[in-house]
Amino acid sequence: MKAKDVMEPITETLSPETTLKEAVNRMKVARRGEGWTGVKGMIVLDDGKLAGIVSIKDILRAIIPSYMRLTELGEFTWDGMLEEMTKKVAGKKVGEVMTRDVITVSEDAPLMECADLMVKHGLQRLPVLDKDKRVVGMVYIRDLYQAIVQALLDKEGE
Amino acid sequence: MTNEAAAASQPFVMNASFWTATVIFLLAYALIVSEKVHKTVVALFGAALMLVLKILEQKEAFHVEEFGVDWNVIFLLISMMVIINLMKPTGFFEYIAIKSAKLGKGEPMRIMTIFALVTAVLSALLDNVTTVLLLAPVTLLIADALEVDPVPFLIAEALASNIGGTATLIGDPPNIMIASKAKLDFISFIYNLTPAIIVIMAAFLFVLKLIFGKRLRVKPELRQRILEMDEREAIKDPLMLKKSLFVLAIVITGFVLHGMLGYEPATVALFGAGLLLLLSGTHEPHHVLAEVEWPTIFFFMGLFIIIGGVVKVGLIKWMSIEVLALTHGNMFATSMLIMWFSAFASAFVDNIPYVATMNPLIIDMANQIWPHLQGIKLLHNPELMPLWWSLALGACLGGNGTAIGASANVIVVGLAERAGRKITFIRFMAYGMPVMILTVLLSTVYVWLRYYVLKI
Repeated sequence: MKAKDVMEPITETLSPETTLKEAVNRMKVARRGEGWTGVKGMIVLDDGKLAGIVSIKDILRAIIPSYMRLTELGEFTWDGMLEEMTKKVAGKKVGEVMTRDVITVSEDAPLMECADLMVKHGLQRLPVLDKDKRVVGMVYIRDLYQAIVQALLDKEGE
Repeated sequence: MTNEAAAASQPFVMNASFWTATVIFLLAYALIVSEKVHKTVVALFGAALMLVLKILEQKEAFHVEEFGVDWNVIFLLISMMVIINLMKPTGFFEYIAIKSAKLGKGEPMRIMTIFALVTAVLSALLDNVTTVLLLAPVTLLIADALEVDPVPFLIAEALASNIGGTATLIGDPPNIMIASKAKLDFISFIYNLTPAIIVIMAAFLFVLKLIFGKRLRVKPELRQRILEMDEREAIKDPLMLKKSLFVLAIVITGFVLHGMLGYEPATVALFGAGLLLLLSGTHEPHHVLAEVEWPTIFFFMGLFIIIGGVVKVGLIKWMSIEVLALTHGNMFATSMLIMWFSAFASAFVDNIPYVATMNPLIIDMANQIWPHLQGIKLLHNPELMPLWWSLALGACLGGNGTAIGASANVIVVGLAERAGRKITFIRFMAYGMPVMILTVLLSTVYVWLRYYVLKI
């Protein structure tokens, strides 16, 4: 199987100008496949071209103050700090927090390539590009999981 | 014949070598100031040109103290960096910072004062950049907890680190360079500079209180956040912390005694670095060594060679003649000129190349005034000593003048910007320049009173 066989269509995208507040709201209600509500990552299109990808991790990274990254200060945070810091960044633009170097696959990429990229880069999702570099779908780690389950069941059936 | 005496007798003619070396020196300086090319790259390429164009022989650049790399400075810096890199992961600095905030009882003004003091003391014993780099993140956290603007705290810390660093031989690179060139020991710095810095620090804290005392107010419930922090949780590796403190104690004792024991400061620091590496039990010293600030180290090496080139051709000697002509050989006037010129120069350009240039200039000047003296008799001539202290005070305290005057300032501005609090060049200068002028004024009074009136 190839990426295009397991990928799911993209129903919603963000623009670099979207605020984080709006982005989180849109991600919360976005539909993915049948019956799924809410996504943890969304691609960002600028003029129809892939500009980046935003995941919950990117948003958390924007919320966690930069000084926390420099040294071990986790023990000295307080109850309510996450909520406070979240409110502070609510107005930030998606373009400021998104991951710009998006790792993508082509439609014809074998699933092994998808699996390799996800594990190597710790990804949950891979945008799938067609020959004109337009995003046509998304392969989620869950889709790979289903492919694995399928393979194991097939073997049992032999 | 000593090196200094050799320099005095060096023939000095404005020939092709003289002009080539001068052009390399001036271009390197201009490029460093313009920041168009990284200063380390400029220094290394400039040094290479000095060798390729035969201004200096490689042997002179690598092995002759007077013209080449000052390995005392290099090894002192590397060794202290290694000790600190080994110490950082123990959580010691976070512990100190949280403890300080709690000592301040969550009162912003008290916290600012204590942080400034802690920064000054740590900067006197370690390097300024490290101190600021370790304390600033905690400062930002504390400011968030208290919901106050972190910028005044950060600027106060940068200024305090430059003031504190002036107090000792190892506190600031200019002092390390002066000590090495002038053969001054740790105790001389404590004896001559620390008293001035104590007075200056007291004045600085007073000014802080005057400016911020009324402005910083916080709600009592926010203070509780600070009081609930447990600084002991910061300690990640208690065993390594004990080892580090043990080695640090040896190193500081070693610095205090190095003059008496006949060791160079670099020997003391190298012993500490080697011992702590051994005690850490690491089989992978790679990352500890990789974290040494190699660009800074190579910047020093390149710079020493460039300066060596212009010393050899006589440019520095020519400059020293001009300075003496300007002050008519009056030593008090010369020391004041050095202090104030150093302060303003260091506020705008890197004080490291500046001091690297000034050191041989002062020695050349001494050579002209006392041609019959040599070695320590020349370097430690009672009339010359105030010049060294004026250079140290001016070059170190001058760093406070602008956001680019000292590495600690650059670090603080960078951290603040990453935290979403941009400190503009003007805003930094609004605090830094008055503090610089105040501290250099106090230094002026100190040098005048101590060396020209009381003569002690």
